[in-house]
Amino acid sequence: MQKPTANPIVLALIDNLIWVLVLAALITFSVLSKSFITPYNLVNIIPKVAAIGLLVIGQSFTMITAHFDLSSESGLGVTAMVAGLLIATTQYGGLGVMAPAWLAIIAMIAVGLLIGLANGLMITRLRMNNLIVTIAMMIALRGVVYIISPGSSASFFGPVFNWLGGGTLFRFQSGAQIVSVPVSLAFVLLAFAVSHIITQYTQFGRNMYAVGASRDAAESSGIRSQRIILYVYLISGLCAALAGLLSAGRLDSATPRSGLGWIFPVQAAAIIGGISLSGGRGNMIGALGGLLLWGILDTGLSILQVNPFTIDVFRGGLLLFAVLLDALKTRYLYRTAMREALSTTSIGLADTSLGFK
Amino acid sequence: MRRSRQDWIQFILDRFIWFIIVGVFIFFAFRANGFLTGLNMINLLMHASVLGLMVIGQAICLISGNFDLSAEGTVSLVTVIAAWMMVIPATEYAGGGPWGLSPFIVIPIILVVGAAVGWVNGFMITRLGMNNFIVTLSMQLVLRGIAFTLSQGRDISGTPTVFNWLGAGRLGSIPVQLIFTGLVAVGFHFILQNSRFGRQLYAVGGNKDAALASGFDPKKTVTLAYVLSGLLAAIAGWMLLGRLGAATIYVGQGLTLETVAASVIGGVALSGGYGSIGGAFAGVLLLSVIDNGLNLMEVDPFWVGGIRGFIILLALAIEAQKFRYKPKITRAEA
Amino acid sequence: MDTLTQNKILFAQDISKSFPGVQALSNVTLDVREGEIHGLVGKNGAGKSTLVRVLMGLHEPDAGTLTINGRIFHSITSSDALAAGIAYVPQHVDMMNSLTVAENILVGALPKGPLGLVNWGAVYKEAHERLSKLGLELDVHKRVEGLSVAEQTMLAIAKALFGNARLIILDEPTAALPRPDINRLFGFIRSLKDKGVAFIYISHHLEEVFEICDRVTVLRDGCLVGSYPVADLDMAKLTNSIVGEDVKEYERSSTCVPDAKALELVGLTRRGHYEDINLTVSQGEVIGISGLQGCGAEALGAGLFGLEPWGVGEVRIGEDAFTARNPHEAFAQGLALLPQDRYRFGLIGLRPVRENVTYTIIDRLMGLLGIVKVPSERKIVAEYIDNLGIVTPSQDQMVRLLSGGNQQKVVFAKLAATKPSVLVLHEPTQGIDVRAKVDIYRIIDELAAQGIAILIISSEVRELMGVCDRILVMYHGRITNEFKRGDPETTPANILRAIEGGSNNAKE
Repeated sequence: MQKPTANPIVLALIDNLIWVLVLAALITFSVLSKSFITPYNLVNIIPKVAAIGLLVIGQSFTMITAHFDLSSESGLGVTAMVAGLLIATTQYGGLGVMAPAWLAIIAMIAVGLLIGLANGLMITRLRMNNLIVTIAMMIALRGVVYIISPGSSASFFGPVFNWLGGGTLFRFQSGAQIVSVPVSLAFVLLAFAVSHIITQYTQFGRNMYAVGASRDAAESSGIRSQRIILYVYLISGLCAALAGLLSAGRLDSATPRSGLGWIFPVQAAAIIGGISLSGGRGNMIGALGGLLLWGILDTGLSILQVNPFTIDVFRGGLLLFAVLLDALKTRYLYRTAMREALSTTSIGLADTSLGFK
Repeated sequence: MRRSRQDWIQFILDRFIWFIIVGVFIFFAFRANGFLTGLNMINLLMHASVLGLMVIGQAICLISGNFDLSAEGTVSLVTVIAAWMMVIPATEYAGGGPWGLSPFIVIPIILVVGAAVGWVNGFMITRLGMNNFIVTLSMQLVLRGIAFTLSQGRDISGTPTVFNWLGAGRLGSIPVQLIFTGLVAVGFHFILQNSRFGRQLYAVGGNKDAALASGFDPKKTVTLAYVLSGLLAAIAGWMLLGRLGAATIYVGQGLTLETVAASVIGGVALSGGYGSIGGAFAGVLLLSVIDNGLNLMEVDPFWVGGIRGFIILLALAIEAQKFRYKPKITRAEA
Repeated sequence: MDTLTQNKILFAQDISKSFPGVQALSNVTLDVREGEIHGLVGKNGAGKSTLVRVLMGLHEPDAGTLTINGRIFHSITSSDALAAGIAYVPQHVDMMNSLTVAENILVGALPKGPLGLVNWGAVYKEAHERLSKLGLELDVHKRVEGLSVAEQTMLAIAKALFGNARLIILDEPTAALPRPDINRLFGFIRSLKDKGVAFIYISHHLEEVFEICDRVTVLRDGCLVGSYPVADLDMAKLTNSIVGEDVKEYERSSTCVPDAKALELVGLTRRGHYEDINLTVSQGEVIGISGLQGCGAEALGAGLFGLEPWGVGEVRIGEDAFTARNPHEAFAQGLALLPQDRYRFGLIGLRPVRENVTYTIIDRLMGLLGIVKVPSERKIVAEYIDNLGIVTPSQDQMVRLLSGGNQQKVVFAKLAATKPSVLVLHEPTQGIDVRAKVDIYRIIDELAAQGIAILIISSEVRELMGVCDRILVMYHGRITNEFKRGDPETTPANILRAIEGGSNNAKE
């Protein structure tokens, strides 16, 4: 009996699809607009979406274990607002506590971890559906931001935040121009590097993949999957806090709408970057590529002066595209690798169950 | 046929939600001033009517085994499209389109839009094999985005009275929306319990493979469920626009989770194949009664939100224990 | 290695186990020695799976003791079993498919470098070394999903050994494997045997039992028939032990209407599943189709019913061409299938009996506006409940609460309601207790008497012999033998041998 084997060229393409897309995007936008490829723009692609980048990291961690955290955008909002309330003067929306930056950062991280803990416990101990729980948290936390916010915004976060979010790391000469490389670029790259090390080179990281690939097989091999899942939600909460830090630093303010709607580019970037919805697949380099793609789209669309309201359509559309690619990829792998294993069981198993749900 | 004690217990458990509603009702009747007045009752129900239509659509999708998170996007899009087509801007800064069409043309159009959105959802989910949660979530954003773009962020007000009838009209002293939603709810409950479509829906949601082997077409059934959800969302949009008289960009926000929560409270399983429209609707009523009662008791809105959220979480936690596994007997070992 | 003098790794003595309505095991004794490959054979339902589950600590026996490595247990937990060195390799191995071979082997304990970070070079090296020690050559860089089934099985065996297993239970490891892969697997198993690892080898492929096993234990209807050195047996003796001599089976007389064609298959071919299937079935005729897993019979049934493609060729029901590509069309054109896995493919568990019976005929019960005419429905369902003897408190009882036999009858009702010309039954009595089985045979008889052509795809040879007018054997996708009722050649042993491919040994 013949087993259709996976074409190695197709497999290679699948594994590196994101870079093909990045290249395509770069080419498309430079064709559409002459002012796209400038040193300034290129250097700032990632810094513009730095906060999203941190969220992508958190999202990737949970997705590798085949779980979702849709609440991270609201986590960003809450933590940023908490910091704002602590740091800003009463004139600019704060509580007047005038806390030092380090205290605010610790508070943010604590809040982020708390959110992660809540998510993780509901999902592992109470066995609730992770999509529903994190969406509910997303909405609930967004409500919390509105409640704790002083009106429209809390502003002026001081030098530490400003440096992290918008400061310059170093400058270099390019032709006649002086280009400044933002700190946030380094922050994001460092965060991705650390995440890559964790996911590829630590026992914990590999256990994450095991749980995502097959929770049962992982459990049989002695991995405590509940613990792993709880930890990834904690990490996701931490990343939401760091994202809040970058966002507040860059805009120098925190509003109730901080992070609103960002879950879409975050999910899209992770999925397009190769982190599969089904878990156990993908790596942080691909996710970085996904972030890069979104950054290019974001910069490109604003250079082309696309209607800001239409950006939402792109956000949703991109996620749909990402999910479609993922579904096709999974189908292809399923068909070629699994078909033979399943062909010996009772009727209909291989083909009728393929597809939705 | 004699009804055993077992049967009676089952009967009560299935309709538990109604007992809770009655209980809560009695509680508020005593503790909240002005709760039992006719005016208040109507207020309470009005609150539930738009949500009620959307819940019916959500319940239908949930029973088929899928989520529809795009309904509020459809509501938003439909209100904007309808308003845009009917209202010619009075001033330079007001919203509206250049056509000023009659409601009799616009209403069919928005119904088609709603159904089309549902069809697209169904297509992506059944034929392209995409994850239903993420797909409908993304569609929600896309639809809102289109609505935003069309409205350019401006409110569009001044929809014609004829159009507003569904949302703002009255038959005698009773608002049309109550009657309409009530009829639709009863109608769909009946359809699901007694029609071929209902049978298909429960079969597909209960066990897709067995449904296929029994001669049903799961893809068609699920797509139809989404089409109905989209259609109901469009009608909800019509009703909402009529009630408000204006299309704002944030219309309908946040309703999605409520529709899921109400369904779960009312006994609809998130895994599919179980529950009823009546139950889901009861969920809506419960949430509305609680909202209304607490407001009358002058409870701080923050606490109202909190209690509501707590109830929703509780219902979800209970549902998770009940339906953790779709009931399976493993096949006989060789 | 002379296994008779080696130590016993496992001694299961007088194990009995019953479930509601069925005695799965009665006083079964089994012993396995170090370095022995011990076959375990028997029909479906003979008790092999139950015995294995008892050994793995998943079921507690009602009586009997287990002595593992000298320690006596009256009941064990699954962690006891694993700790004692008993491992189970299922037919469809459960691995982390998106991860590499190396990671699957070393999961949870990857070799680290000085900084505490995973040293991938060491990972691959260590995995490769471990496999080499076992004599297994696999590309440790490959993802498990890219391995062939045989390789995945071997990997699962290796994993079990790395977990210090000393007795490995292999469940149907060679189903549908091509010959070269089987050779590779057997080579691997033999090399492990030389190292003292013991195996329990469960299989329906009796030829293979002769090829690789030292001893074989035969179970029948939950009882031990005997344990024999393979050298003392031949195929005839073995098959006789499996099917038994003295069991009184259901006998029915033929209701075949000759010259009235109900189903005709001409040159039906589906690449990779079956080839050149030519078959004519008359009205009222009951034929059996039997063969090993992967022989093509299941695919044929699924294909005709529309759950899978049926390939190329001609199919006729009566005089009309049969063109159904999905179950709905199949019902409409007169063909119905009873699936093997009735819970997964036959019933909607949460729904009542009444609805489950009428899913297939819902179109006929519709009144105005698509509303189901419930009174008519109740009447029809009541008739079926009566005729088929379905035991249920009411029509509205959730079908998942019924017993296995009654659930099967519900599925029968559902199919019979479509008034088919051809009924395909896939393992119709699997998982049903003896009394209910007789009911099912009676139902088959009555349906045949109505002129319906019935195809029974089953591995229960004795059952087929009692019920069928003809029995066809399929092997590697072709129909290789035909046995007629009443013919002296039609014996269980002959049929079993044909199933094994004995008489037309066309092995690659």
